[in-house]
Amino acid sequence: MKPSRFPLTVTWVVLAFFYLPIAVVVLNSFNGARFASTFEGPTLDWYRQLFEHREIWQAVVNSLVIGVGATIVSVVIGTTAAIALHRYQSRLQRVHYAVIYTPLVVPEILMGISLLLFFGAIGLELGLFTIFLAHVTFCVSYVAMVVLGRLQGFDDAVVEAAQDLGAGWWTITWRILVPLLSPGILAGALLAFTLSIDDFVISFFVAGPGSTTLPIRIYSMIKHGNPPLINALSTLLLVVTFVAVWGSQRLTTITEKP
Amino acid sequence: MNTSLRRLIRGASPLGLPHTLSRSALRRLAPFAWLARDARSLVALTTRSAGRVSTWEIGSSLLCLAAAAVLCGACAKPLPVLHVYTWADYVKPELVQRFESERKCRVVIDTFDSNEAMFAKMKAGATGYDLVTPSSYMVSVLHSQGLLQPLDASLIPNRKNVDPEYLKVALDPTMDHSVPYMLSNSGLAYLASKVKDPVPSWKMFDRADLKGRMTMLNDMRETIGAALKSLGYSLNTTDQKQLDEARVVVVRWKQNLAKFENEQYQSGLASGEFLLVHGYSGDILRAQNENADVTFVIPREGTSMSADDLVIPKTAKEVRLAHAFINFLHDPDVAAENTNFISYLCPNVPAYEKLSPKIRDNPAIFIDPAIRARSEVIRDLGVDNAKYVKVWDEIKAAK
Repeated sequence: MKPSRFPLTVTWVVLAFFYLPIAVVVLNSFNGARFASTFEGPTLDWYRQLFEHREIWQAVVNSLVIGVGATIVSVVIGTTAAIALHRYQSRLQRVHYAVIYTPLVVPEILMGISLLLFFGAIGLELGLFTIFLAHVTFCVSYVAMVVLGRLQGFDDAVVEAAQDLGAGWWTITWRILVPLLSPGILAGALLAFTLSIDDFVISFFVAGPGSTTLPIRIYSMIKHGNPPLINALSTLLLVVTFVAVWGSQRLTTITEKP
Repeated sequence: MNTSLRRLIRGASPLGLPHTLSRSALRRLAPFAWLARDARSLVALTTRSAGRVSTWEIGSSLLCLAAAAVLCGACAKPLPVLHVYTWADYVKPELVQRFESERKCRVVIDTFDSNEAMFAKMKAGATGYDLVTPSSYMVSVLHSQGLLQPLDASLIPNRKNVDPEYLKVALDPTMDHSVPYMLSNSGLAYLASKVKDPVPSWKMFDRADLKGRMTMLNDMRETIGAALKSLGYSLNTTDQKQLDEARVVVVRWKQNLAKFENEQYQSGLASGEFLLVHGYSGDILRAQNENADVTFVIPREGTSMSADDLVIPKTAKEVRLAHAFINFLHDPDVAAENTNFISYLCPNVPAYEKLSPKIRDNPAIFIDPAIRARSEVIRDLGVDNAKYVKVWDEIKAAK
């Protein structure tokens, strides 16, 4: 009996669903026409304009600085929170859990406006730093949830064995917890970075002068600017992402081989 | 009423920027340098060989990254910085550079995507912006909320260049707290090869031969305003009798319309799906770049105009510099160059003769003074807005 073709078909449909929109963006970045409805010959003009656009690059730098900074800080805080939640079971920890969980369910617009009011009340000047703080605020919750999930299948006996053998907390953290939790931490970090890079609503409210991030810039350009440049920029970001993933995979295989 | 929708994409300008990527571009990319430097330790972390690399190495490099992220927002800059809060691509970049070198300052441009979002932010206490460019109706709101400071006329000698004809209909005719920056208007656009005997009049929507191939804006003030204009009334009327007449007109037009449409009409017209549309001048310009057959006319009965104005918030720090920038933008040469680039009309009389013929002869940008005299700026009517809402609901419900 021939194997069913159904799984293959589903796979192709799902892949097409994922990647066709991206393909459209890439294709349109070379489209001479401004509307996607027609194709007017290939052009590199959008890329030329993009490279000469000072404000867009400033927005890219802002987004990356905030994304990387918020990811690192939220990974540290989020992982610590997850370990604490896992290790201690008390009423205080139940409150802690609720506090960590809340930002996941609070509507973004509410969070944005309340952060803005808060920063205003304490007299903190809006800028990259306030966006960074806001991003850490919601990224911590995601990181903590992901790492907590990883801890659910964690064998606490390993830690106890290490303590038996005389390992201090520092050694246990770096030699046992971090390596064993690293898939969870890495997943949390990637999630945090992605959320930070494409957050619009919260960033818009807490952004100050000189701190326009890429999503804010893109929203403004869609209504009043040059959308084909966005296609070109998205294509470049895709290329960078693919190269980075490919590079890290290559590095992984090289280090594992010897 | 969503005036932000008329902010549109400026026409694909043939004027590129200079091809001087090299050094200045590299300097702009300099902030990436630390990324590259720390990438190695990051890779080491991701490849799970953390045990082999010194924990201090990872820890310290991560700390550096975090510190760089936080501190970069506060890098000390010796030059004064003017913070401009505006729409994307709303001033020619070379002009900004010229202002920077003339005044020995730095101009930082931040962007918003709708008047309402910008207002929410300003109202909630966002500070640090020295110059903002909201649409006129939003300027009135900001002013009534006490968020703007009065302008010092002595610091803006070029205000004498501002078109007095426009100021007659402007919401702030004395330029007390705002100076008009760019004008746009709504009008009719059609495909010249498909529409026979076009007439520059709102009455075109009565044409039975175009039935089902026309759209009007899905905006109560614009569309009821068009009907009011076709009847010879003011589009800011609060007279219930005039509004009732306008309702009858729009309901009659509605029989011939494909739909009320705010966004898709541009591509619909460019691709030939629609033959005649009611739209904003900037949107139509974009469609014209796509399809040369698209023709724009301003109805002779008059139409709606809108402007974005230059205002200085109360909380501005570089007040003198902001005044200087307003003055700079109304220099006739600068205003003409800016209009040629972004394809909106800066209402600056001496600049009119310096405009490129392509801009000057395009009714989507340069509106005939006689018709402009019959056109109006949409005002916020306060409680009387309810009358329009009621008429609009009746129009939407009509079969």
